Amino acid sequence: MAAGVAAWLPFARAAAIGWMPVANLPMPVAPTEKNKRQDELIILNVSGRRFQTWKNTLDRYPDTLLGSSEKEFFYNEETKEYFFDRDPDVFRSVLNFYRTGKLHYPRYECISSYDEELAFFGIVPEIIGDCCYEEYKDRKRENAERLMDDQEDNKDAKLPNMTFRETMWRAFENPHTSTMALVFYYVTGFFIAVSVITNVVETVPCGSAPNQKEVPCGERYTVAFFCMDTACVMIFTVEYLMRLFAAPSRYRFMRSVMSIIDVVAILPYYIGLVMTDNEDVSGAFVTLRVFRVFRIFKFSRHSQGLRILGYTLKSCASELGFLLFSLTMAIIIFATVMFYAEKGSSSSKFTSIPASFWYTIVTMTTLGYGDMVPKTIAGKIFGSICSLSGVLVIALPVPVIVSNFSRIYHQNQRADKRRAQKVQVSTVLFLVSWASE
Amino acid sequence: MDAKRVETISARVDAAVSSSDSVEDELELSAVRHRPEGLEQLEAQTRFSRKELQILYRGFKNECPSGVVNEETFKDIYSQFFPQGDASTYAHFLFNAFDTDHNGSVSFEDFVMGLSILLRGTIQEKLNWAFNLYDINKDGYITKEEMLDIMKAIYDMMGKCTYPVLKEETPRQHVEVFFQKMDKNKDGVVTIDEFIDCCQNDENIMRSMHLFENVL
Repeated sequence: MAAGVAAWLPFARAAAIGWMPVANLPMPVAPTEKNKRQDELIILNVSGRRFQTWKNTLDRYPDTLLGSSEKEFFYNEETKEYFFDRDPDVFRSVLNFYRTGKLHYPRYECISSYDEELAFFGIVPEIIGDCCYEEYKDRKRENAERLMDDQEDNKDAKLPNMTFRETMWRAFENPHTSTMALVFYYVTGFFIAVSVITNVVETVPCGSAPNQKEVPCGERYTVAFFCMDTACVMIFTVEYLMRLFAAPSRYRFMRSVMSIIDVVAILPYYIGLVMTDNEDVSGAFVTLRVFRVFRIFKFSRHSQGLRILGYTLKSCASELGFLLFSLTMAIIIFATVMFYAEKGSSSSKFTSIPASFWYTIVTMTTLGYGDMVPKTIAGKIFGSICSLSGVLVIALPVPVIVSNFSRIYHQNQRADKRRAQKVQVSTVLFLVSWASE
Repeated sequence: MDAKRVETISARVDAAVSSSDSVEDELELSAVRHRPEGLEQLEAQTRFSRKELQILYRGFKNECPSGVVNEETFKDIYSQFFPQGDASTYAHFLFNAFDTDHNGSVSFEDFVMGLSILLRGTIQEKLNWAFNLYDINKDGYITKEEMLDIMKAIYDMMGKCTYPVLKEETPRQHVEVFFQKMDKNKDGVVTIDEFIDCCQNDENIMRSMHLFENVL
């Protein structure tokens, strides 16, 4: 806007006539422009394509290449034009910036080539207009993530002179670096599976003696299950201690999610060892055994899909929060309404508003167990409104989460593909160099 | 101004849902585009050369692609030149002075005519134009209220960056001084002749008027 407004300067000066007759003193002399010359056309030859514009247009932004004397370095005396050996397509956007004052980002353009051109011509990308800013920022972010992936891949390269501790840490983080690490990886995976299956089978009713009632397998073969549990916990403890030893920053390692999961997985066992004989806390002890199921999360070290899921949930935290909040609001509203609607009916299961919460949740998620059913007409009407609105409220944030997951998943696919391609390329090169010896 | 050509471009976008007139969702876009008279005519009517008119029109069209300026754009442009105060009231009076046919918009012809008088006109024409600016209701007389409005608009535009710092009564006092100087027959209003006479006899004002010669 500032560029175009400069053209109105004569008008602004002329309008000063308004306060001249009322002024007490004569007006000061207006500054005259030195070297006032007529406007001239400039020819800009960008890789053969000629652009022409007024010199005044370029002078609007004196801190860029074209607006300052820097362009004199590119002046060609014979053809009397400024020659730039750059991309003419991107130059269109650059020149339009001078003409209109707004910088646009064309969608089909590669983000890094666009950035390079902007840097060459001395234009700061931050002034991209609102219309194209979102697109630009998204592409930039994608590019940055891709570069980060590339950097991470390079970490696989073997560095000479690594201490034993560093080798161990690398073995833990990337199992395919050495056979030892691979063995360890599969062994831990196996034991996690064993531990989880044990927990599950423990509760299955085994066959019973003729005049005894059915007991779960856990109580029938107590010793066997205890031994298996001990073995698993021992492996997990050793693994955790080894990781703790190898971690470059122990404090950071202890705060990471995976290590917390490890600790939560093995702690119940030790707590159980300590307080088996105390009757009062045996209730709490039973609760602790529930935490053993968290061992299944240890699988996320072995499965990339789980990690992606976890990352997606983390990045959609705000959408999930919104979903939760709106659901809570709707539940409270409908539960209250149903409670008061059903108050009149006798033998109504809707004994209190919290009791109606259960009905509302079951209805809104379209489960419909049928254990609580409205009997009055008003109750049925509100119940149907409740189920309809439930579908809507849940359907709204879901596409956002899905699109986030899809984006992250595709990025990971891309990273894997590129890694596979690199391996292919390096294998081919190796074979070629080996064959040519 | 009889060769004005105004084109209205209307486009209708119908909603795909229903076709009955009452519930139809119409989006009628009408863009008023104004094209000025030819270059030769303007050259004849104003005191600008061909090249100057070209430069002026390019700047004008850049800011107002539709070919006319409305009051909002006027105020906008003016406030960019005077950021330290509130230039909107003065811009409003200025707009009314430029808009000679009072149709709510200033076309390029109005703009260039006004500029021609202000920058290249005789002293008489300039003073005439200034009187027209002050006479808000265009009745041929400047009353104290009109002058007070103008004065307040000018002071508002200067904002707080004046030296010495202005007080509340300064505009009123200034109007009193002005009327004492201008109103010869003390009838409470200033007519065009009193105004021109008085200004021509005032050295300061005459000197200031000559400064406009080299603006463009």
